[in-house]
Amino acid sequence: MNALAVPAQASSGRIQLVDVRRRALLVAQLRVLLIVAVFLAIAAAALLRIAYLGVVQPARSQHSMADALLPPRGEITDRNGVPLARAFPAYALWFNPEAMGDDGTPLVRPARAVAAELKAIFPDLDAAAVAGQLASGKAGYLRRRVLPEDANRVLAIGELALELPRESDRHYPQGSMAAHVLGYVEDGQGHVGMEAALNERLNDPALRSEPVALSIDARVQGALEDELRRGMLSVDAVGAAGIVLDVDTGEVMALASLPEFDPNKVDADGQKLVFNKVTNQVYELGSTFKPLTVAAAIDAGVITDLSRRYPATPFPIGGFTISDSHPLGASLNAPEILIHSSNVGTAHIVDDIGPARMKRVMADLGFNERPYIELPARGFPIWASGDWPRLRAMTVGYGHGIAVTPLHLASAYAAMVNGGIWRPATLHKVAPGHANRGRRVFKASTSARMNQLLRMIAVYGTGRNANAPGFRVGGKTGSAEKPGSGGYNKTSLVSTFAAAFPMDRPRYVVIVMFDEPKGTTASSFQRTAAWNAAPTVGRLVPRIGPLLGVYPDETRDVDLTDLKPLVGDDG
Amino acid sequence: MMPHSRIRRIGWIAALATCTALYLMLHLKVHAVTSEVVRAERQIVALEQQKLLLETEFETRANQLQLAAWNNVDFGYTAPSAAQFLENERQLASFGTARAPGAPEPIRVAGGAGEAPEYPRLVSPLTGKPVDQALLEPERASGFVAPRLAGGATRIPLGAVVASAAR
Repeated sequence: MNALAVPAQASSGRIQLVDVRRRALLVAQLRVLLIVAVFLAIAAAALLRIAYLGVVQPARSQHSMADALLPPRGEITDRNGVPLARAFPAYALWFNPEAMGDDGTPLVRPARAVAAELKAIFPDLDAAAVAGQLASGKAGYLRRRVLPEDANRVLAIGELALELPRESDRHYPQGSMAAHVLGYVEDGQGHVGMEAALNERLNDPALRSEPVALSIDARVQGALEDELRRGMLSVDAVGAAGIVLDVDTGEVMALASLPEFDPNKVDADGQKLVFNKVTNQVYELGSTFKPLTVAAAIDAGVITDLSRRYPATPFPIGGFTISDSHPLGASLNAPEILIHSSNVGTAHIVDDIGPARMKRVMADLGFNERPYIELPARGFPIWASGDWPRLRAMTVGYGHGIAVTPLHLASAYAAMVNGGIWRPATLHKVAPGHANRGRRVFKASTSARMNQLLRMIAVYGTGRNANAPGFRVGGKTGSAEKPGSGGYNKTSLVSTFAAAFPMDRPRYVVIVMFDEPKGTTASSFQRTAAWNAAPTVGRLVPRIGPLLGVYPDETRDVDLTDLKPLVGDDG
Repeated sequence: MMPHSRIRRIGWIAALATCTALYLMLHLKVHAVTSEVVRAERQIVALEQQKLLLETEFETRANQLQLAAWNNVDFGYTAPSAAQFLENERQLASFGTARAPGAPEPIRVAGGAGEAPEYPRLVSPLTGKPVDQALLEPERASGFVAPRLAGGATRIPLGAVVASAAR
C-alpha cells in the first residue's frame, strides 16, 4: 500500500510541480506584461505631454498676450506714424451702491463729505448734484473720463462704492486737428471721415492690430490749419478751406475745413460743423479756372502764339455783357489775361476753343463727377449737361456757371502742373512707385508752358503776395461772388488761391479758400483773393516746404525770359 | 530564487518610484516656468498699456495746436528763410575757411569774456552739504590728475578761446 502509495504520490507531486511551475511562469509572464504595459503607458503619457507642451500650450499663451494687446479698434496714424486716432483705455467714475454687499448705507461717510472730497479732485464737479446722486443710492456715472492720476486720488478716498471701471475710448491726441479727415466714433461706429470710410477695416480682428497710415502729414496739417485760422480771423471770414496735394501721386498731405469740431467731444455744436468744405461744398471758384482754360487752348493748338492779342473791352453776347472788374486797355495777350485776370480775354479764348472741346477738357479734369477721395461726404458739382451754348462755355472759362469742390480744383491743378496726368486724390499713404497711373489730360509741353505762366502770375500779377522767397510759388487768384437769391451777391465773395510749388519742378498743389472774407486792416480793406488767400499761401509755403522736402533756393527758378517781354514793364 | 526575484522586484519598484518622482519634479518645474512666463506676459501687457498711456499723454500735451499756441505766445519762431539753408557740401565747407583780410568781425553770441560757471557739486543726501571732492575722487586729491581739471570746471569759456585765437 505504502510502496504503491509512494510512486503514486511522487507522480501526483510531479504533476503538481509541473502545474505550479506553469502557473508561476504564467504569473511571471503576466507581471512582465503588466510592467511593460505600465512603462508603455508612462512613456505614452510623457510623449503626449511633450506633444501637448510643444504644440498646444505655447500657442495658447502667445494668443492670450496678443489678445490682450489687440486694440478694440484699429489705430489711425499719419504718414510718419504719428497717432491721429487710437483706442485708449480710459477710466470712468461709476457709483455702485451694491459694492459694500450688505444692507447698510452704500457709503462709509456722509454723501456730502464724499462729494466735497471729489470736488477737491475735480474742481469743475457740481458738488451738490453729486451729493444728491450719492444720497439717492442709484447706480450711475459720476464722471465719464478720469485721468489716471485722478483715479489714484479717488481710490485714496477709500469708498468702495466709487468704482473706476476701465472703458475703451477713442482718443484723438491732436484734438481738433484734421477733424474732418478723421471723423469721430460713436457707439463703435465711425462717422464723417476716415473713421467711417475705414470702419470695417478698423473693427476687423485680423487687421486692427496694424495701424492704418493716412497720406496726411501731421506737421503740414497743423501748419495749414494754423495759417488758415489766422487768415480766417484776420479777414473775418465765415469759413476757410485748404488742401495740400502731392501732384505726382495724388496723396493729400493736408486737408482742412474751418471752423472745425473736436472729435474727442462731438456735441450738438460739433455736429453742425462736421460739413467738409473741401470735399462736400461746391463753389463757383472764379478766376482760378482761367489757367485751365488757357491750358486747354494751348493744348488744342488754339494758342500757338502767346503774343496774339485779344480784345479786352466789354464783350456783349446773348443779351449779357462780359466785363472786367476794372478797365484793362483795348487788348491783352494770353499772359496778360492771366496776370490781370481778364474775364473778357478769357471769353475770347474760349470762343476760339469752342464749347464742345471746352466741355470735354472740363470733363477730363473730373469736373462732371464727385471728387475722387475715400471720404464718405463728396459733393456733386453743378455741371450743365447737354451741349453747352457759347455763353456757358465762356462763363465756365472764367469759373462761373460751374461749381466744384476745392478738391476738384486741386486735382485739376495737379494735372496741369505735373506734366498733364490727372490722378484721383487719395487719403491713403501710397508706397513709392505705386501711384495711380491716371489719365493724360494735357500734353507735357502744355504743362511746362503753364508752369511758366503760373509763376508769372505770382511774380508779376495778382499772386505777388504768395511769392514766398526761394520757393518758386506759382498760382492764380480767384474771387467769385457768391450766388444768392436773385443773382450774384455783390458783397459776399469766395476768394481762392490755387498754387503750386516749386514751379521749376512742381511737387505740391496748395489751395486756400476763404468764405465771405471782409475788408479789414489786415487785408488792406480789400476782399479779393490777392489780399487774403494769396498772403496765406505766402506764409504757409515756407512753413510746409522744408517739411515736405522742398528747400528754398534763391538761385533757382523757372526761366521766364521768353515771356517777360510779352507783359511789359509794369506787369 | 525567491530573495533574488524579490530584490529584482524591489529594484524595479524603486526605479519606477524614482522615475515618477523625477517626472513629478520636472512637471512642477515646468509649471513654475509656465506661470513665470504667464506673469512676464502679464507684465509685458501692463507695460505696453502704460507705454500707450504715456505716449498718448505726450502726444496730447504736445499736439500741433498746443505747439502753435506756445510758438505764438512764447517763442515766436518763424519758418527759416532761403538764406538759412545750405545748398551743398561746398557751402558748408566755406564756413570753415579762414576769414579774408578786411572781412567784418563775425558776431559771437555764446559765452562771455569771464569764467564759465562751475558745474553744480554733488550734494550729500544726508547732510545736504557738498561732498568733499577728496572723498569722491581720491586719486585726484593725491595730485595725480593734471591741475587744470581741478575745481570741476571742465567747460571751457568760449569767450576766452575766441580772445586767445584773436590774439
